[in-house]
Amino acid sequence: MSEGIRFVFRGEVREIDKIDPTLSVLRWLREVEGASGTKEGCAEGDCGACTVVLGELVDGSMQYRAVNACIQFMPTLHGKQLITVEDLASPDGALHPVQKAMVETSGSQCGFCTPGFVMSMFAMKVSEGRPSRDRINDVLAGNLCRCTGYGPIIEASEKMYDAGPETAFLEEEKRVVALLEGLSSDAMVETADKGRRYFAPARVDDLARVYTDNPDAVIVAGATDVGLWVTKMHKDLGTVIYLGRVKELKEMRVASGYLEIGAGVSYTDAWDEIKKHYPDFGELIRRIGSTQVRNAGTIGGNVANGSPIGDTPPALIAAGARLVLRKGEERREIDLESFFIDYGKQDRGIGEFVEMVKLPLPKAGSKFRSYKISKRFDQDISAACGAFMADIEKGQVKDIRICFGGMAGTPARAKHTEAALIGKTWDEETVKTAMAEMVKDYNPLTDMRASEAYRAKVARNLLYKFFVETSQVGEKVNTRVVGDRELAHV
Amino acid sequence: MNDTGIGASVRRKEDFRFLTGQGTYTDDINRPGQTYGYILRSPVAHAKINGIDLAEAKAAPGVVAIFTGDDMQVGSIPCGWGVNNKDGSPMNEPPHPALAQGKVRHVGDQVAIVIAESYAEARAAAELIDVDYEELPAVADLATALDQSTLVHDEAPGNLCYDWEIGEEAQVNAIFESAHHVTSMDIVNNRLVPNAMEPRAAIGEYDSATGEYTLYTTSQNPHVIRLLMGAFVLQIPEHKLRVVAPDVGGGFGSKIFHYAEEAIVTWAAQKVRRPIKWRAERSESFLSDAHGRDHVTKAELALDQDGKFIGLRCYTKANMGAYLSTFSTCVPTYLHATLLAGVYTTPAIYCNVKAVFTNTVPVDAYRGAGRPEATYLLERLVDRAARETGMSQSEIRRKNFIPEDAFPYQTPVALQYDSGNYTATLDRAEELADVAGFQARRSEAASRGKLRGLGYSTYVEACGIAPSAVVGSLGARAGLFESANIRVHPTGSVTVYTGSHSHGQGHETTFAQLVSDSLGIPIENVDISHGDTNKVAFGMGTYGSRSLAVGGEAIMKALDKVITKSKKIAAHVLEADSADIEFKDGKFTVAGTDREMAFGDVALTAYVPHNFPHDELEPGLEEQAFYDPMNFTYPAGCHICEVEIDPDTGVVEVVAMTAMDDVGRVINPMIVEGQIHGGLAQGIGQALMEGARYDDDGQLLTGSYMDYCMPRADDLPDFKVGTTTTLCTHNSLGVKGCGEVGAIGSPPAVINAVVDALWDQGVRDIAMPATPNAVWNALNGAKTAMAAE
Ligand SMILES: Cc1cc2nc3c(=O)[nH]c(=O)nc-3n(C[C@H](O)[C@H](O)[C@H](O)COP(=O)(O)OP(=O)(O)OC[C@H]3O[C@@H](n4cnc5c(N)ncnc54)[C@H](O)[C@@H]3O)c2cc1C
Ligand code: FES
Ligand code: FES
Repeated sequence: MSEGIRFVFRGEVREIDKIDPTLSVLRWLREVEGASGTKEGCAEGDCGACTVVLGELVDGSMQYRAVNACIQFMPTLHGKQLITVEDLASPDGALHPVQKAMVETSGSQCGFCTPGFVMSMFAMKVSEGRPSRDRINDVLAGNLCRCTGYGPIIEASEKMYDAGPETAFLEEEKRVVALLEGLSSDAMVETADKGRRYFAPARVDDLARVYTDNPDAVIVAGATDVGLWVTKMHKDLGTVIYLGRVKELKEMRVASGYLEIGAGVSYTDAWDEIKKHYPDFGELIRRIGSTQVRNAGTIGGNVANGSPIGDTPPALIAAGARLVLRKGEERREIDLESFFIDYGKQDRGIGEFVEMVKLPLPKAGSKFRSYKISKRFDQDISAACGAFMADIEKGQVKDIRICFGGMAGTPARAKHTEAALIGKTWDEETVKTAMAEMVKDYNPLTDMRASEAYRAKVARNLLYKFFVETSQVGEKVNTRVVGDRELAHV
Repeated sequence: MNDTGIGASVRRKEDFRFLTGQGTYTDDINRPGQTYGYILRSPVAHAKINGIDLAEAKAAPGVVAIFTGDDMQVGSIPCGWGVNNKDGSPMNEPPHPALAQGKVRHVGDQVAIVIAESYAEARAAAELIDVDYEELPAVADLATALDQSTLVHDEAPGNLCYDWEIGEEAQVNAIFESAHHVTSMDIVNNRLVPNAMEPRAAIGEYDSATGEYTLYTTSQNPHVIRLLMGAFVLQIPEHKLRVVAPDVGGGFGSKIFHYAEEAIVTWAAQKVRRPIKWRAERSESFLSDAHGRDHVTKAELALDQDGKFIGLRCYTKANMGAYLSTFSTCVPTYLHATLLAGVYTTPAIYCNVKAVFTNTVPVDAYRGAGRPEATYLLERLVDRAARETGMSQSEIRRKNFIPEDAFPYQTPVALQYDSGNYTATLDRAEELADVAGFQARRSEAASRGKLRGLGYSTYVEACGIAPSAVVGSLGARAGLFESANIRVHPTGSVTVYTGSHSHGQGHETTFAQLVSDSLGIPIENVDISHGDTNKVAFGMGTYGSRSLAVGGEAIMKALDKVITKSKKIAAHVLEADSADIEFKDGKFTVAGTDREMAFGDVALTAYVPHNFPHDELEPGLEEQAFYDPMNFTYPAGCHICEVEIDPDTGVVEVVAMTAMDDVGRVINPMIVEGQIHGGLAQGIGQALMEGARYDDDGQLLTGSYMDYCMPRADDLPDFKVGTTTTLCTHNSLGVKGCGEVGAIGSPPAVINAVVDALWDQGVRDIAMPATPNAVWNALNGAKTAMAAE
């Protein structure tokens, strides 16, 4: 066990013995360190003004990810490098290529959003090659600017690549790698302050043990939900157990027909792998939150929070995902579907945690689609989110699974609708009949995101869309208005 | 032109600090011994406060003090502009307390301040305050507020603030009687939340040794805050009150106004004898920053048989919210109704405005303030009139434009436009937008199943606000001049103190260009200082696109004085008559000789005046000027928008946005372009995405970035922008202003394009924001209606 936290900041290892487990990185920077370059625009993960970059050693090489400092808890920095806007210019004052490009294109006006944009762009610049316009949009989707209209920032995101590779930065990186190697350990990290305790195990067995010992603790994975409990709902979390260091939970592998996704795998890390098997699920992930949210948030958290409007459960359930839960030494595996018992109620015992989500690999010939209905392409909560998985053989529906979020108190299957389809010919008539059945499956609410009638109608029509996209194979169907439109034709 | 002078795209001087995280915004400032304030706000829209129990909160850890309205008995937050009713009587001006006095009138109204050692403690303690609210029905809807029996203020019967008019109603009615054609529309200008990225913040401080107060605040106009807060609310004389507005992260109007929190922290700092910092959480910004727009109007345009506009009449209800914010009252009147001539020769105009109280956040100026509302209703009417009378969008406008040779042009609604060339601007815009190729693009889109539409907007606005004499006669309770002080240091570098305030506009660069250009010195040798009442003599601040046209002119005037005095010094040293001294490229030369003196040497001499004739020449080189313009400035332009709509989903994609604007002389093209881009983004945001919504109980439904749709990087098209130039005739620079044109001109262009795309499907109108849902409903509603016919 190691007391306190260690991370690399401003080129050195910073050691903090006692720290409030739910103090945000943003508050620490601004209020404790007096480093005010990183800004607070919302404290809800929506605006990106607080964007910082975390450097982490992954399999021996550095990985840089932009995250929202406003909802990242301080102790989660342990073992990582924290990079803020103040770190980019060289000590002699020469601007970093990202900053230079922003000057040249006039990408800053009032300057308040600027540090956040600079950090999002920096993370891209050090991690990947020249981006497409689409990729730039993805990277900037988590940053709001009210002054510039974005054009000059997009231009700067291209222009910054003209400066060539990050020589100075990569030189410094060698030193940082050595520092981070020195911090890496399998020991549990513990800290406490103000009566709040914090545990960050590195091994899953330690996690199991510490959670059994502290069953009242709040589990934190990416904190993209939990962070808001603190910043918005002002909750006092007491004891916190952080999953982000647990090696086993960060693994992903294909085994016996399943893609096994550890509960600590971030959306960003899961994205490529899931996309390979389920292109449309990949597209769905692209639309969850923003780059910063996906870099931190996990599928495990999206499932475990039990929300009826989480975006991944419908897709997972439609695909027939299984859930591995663990309590102490005991594991059990259930259908993900049965995990969601009722609004606010899940099949998870005291001291039990989600260890893994198992996503079955698609059967040859099966059709999968997932659709997110929200007011905007990115950074928006779904009004409804639906997923369909069908086995169509010789024009007959052998099997179909339909699941919706936003239509009931939990993500829920459309069993009546499914029954009206199974064994029938996959044609317009059957689909229309089945659509009418859907009233028996869902009784959605009216809220500010959408009305009951809208939700009911959209869900019916999404089935029709699924039908069009999967029955007119080879034809160009025009069913996609946002995102990768070609996915309609896979 | 030198490469840092007028007309050069000089890179911004302020960028280095912003890009390296070294800007100093209010929340970045920390004062020794600082405490933190949390404002407890009303969770309900309308209620009587029967009691407030503070006992538990006062005992909470870290709490220093808690104050409520009972403690804070100070002056009312004043409204800066009195508007008279049509019968000449003054408007209803109910009190606007900093902390609620027995009643709350909107969700977010300030009830108490909790001051503690940390922000978290202040916030936690606030949750322990028990307020006994006796809820009252809420007046949440603008359209019906005048008919409701519930009163927001007992002092304002019928929830009416004023019933104002401009023009002769009877005369205009008579014109309508005999008109060949009348186009009528009901037009709503949707309510917006300004959403500057920097939340408002304020730090109040009191020095008991000197009796001096300091307020650091996120303001566009620190002197105005000093005046309003010092003289009206807290009765602190100016020499004891310093207001500092450091770097400010965007304003768009919302940081003009004097807000309660500024007065609360300043007042309370004196009570607790420690500095108090308050900073809005984003949800508080939604509930306490003044909102913008929110008009409903019945508008009618009368045309003769030649398609000429002969009369316009409008009946507008304008939402004031729960209290009168600083400039709220002038927005729908003097910044809206006076613009209703637009770029057209309409000879007779009548406008009636009823300003209405509701239990919502106060409404005030937001980028464009009144002019976007006027432009929107006018350009929507013109678009509709063209369709009804069979003219093209271009033709109806050209036929009615004020001709180039008619300037100065007196409109029937008080303003006199000094210059403009609307036809030339329209020509250039149509060229840049390739209007000629539109039909082909429309057919191509149709082959993909998309509905393509083209929309115009030709606007004029009045900015460079404004001549004190004019605004004074219209009810402004302040002058609207600007000050500048040029301090030339002994080695020839220069500090300019300006009363304008930059919160994104790049004054530190543009103003330095003026100085570099005039004095022929490198731009690095010029610094612009703004935002501190202890440094700057006086200032009215930045809004209404006035910085360059008014603040810049004041700098030019002060520069003139500096040059005049420098000539005297040079004449003295060079032993010539000052009338013979010429100044060019930084050198003073005796005309017709090679005797010269560099500007730097003149500066040094000014501070080493060893043999100055004391009766003729004072030492030093520093000049002050105040400039009060003779007229507003009148930028104008043409925006052309092209959209594609997916009829299956109602999604509107802006595929092209062209803006051709005449903003007068351009000092820094890069900065001007940036201002126009930003304005267009907000205009497109208003047209397609943004809208603040209240429910019947007065709860704001769109109170976070999740629910209030702000444009993001992938929501906007690439803009095609260009400028044409007619010079302003009454300022020396010939400048007009560019800060708001994008937001003024673009919304009707976008909506006209949407309507154009949908017209053949039977859709006649669509309200902003034209969300997919709204468009889809309009399309399907029209389909059903057509089927029924
Ligand atoms: C700006 C923003 C945008 C967002 N957009 C979307 C969106 O588009 N779609 C969407 O679905 N969600 C969205 N979210 C919500 C959130 O990102 C997701 O729900 C995310 O998947 C949560 O994962 P996390 O790792 O951050 O969970 P955390 O916040 O760390 O935890 C969430 C909950 O799950 C529990 N938990 C986490 N892991 C485990 C485990 N292994 N075992 C047991 N319990 C566990 C926690 O105790 C907590 O109750 C958004 C959030 C933000 C801030
Ligand atoms: S402050 Fe807005 S995302 Fe963090
Ligand atoms: S520059 Fe002002 S918000 Fe982006």
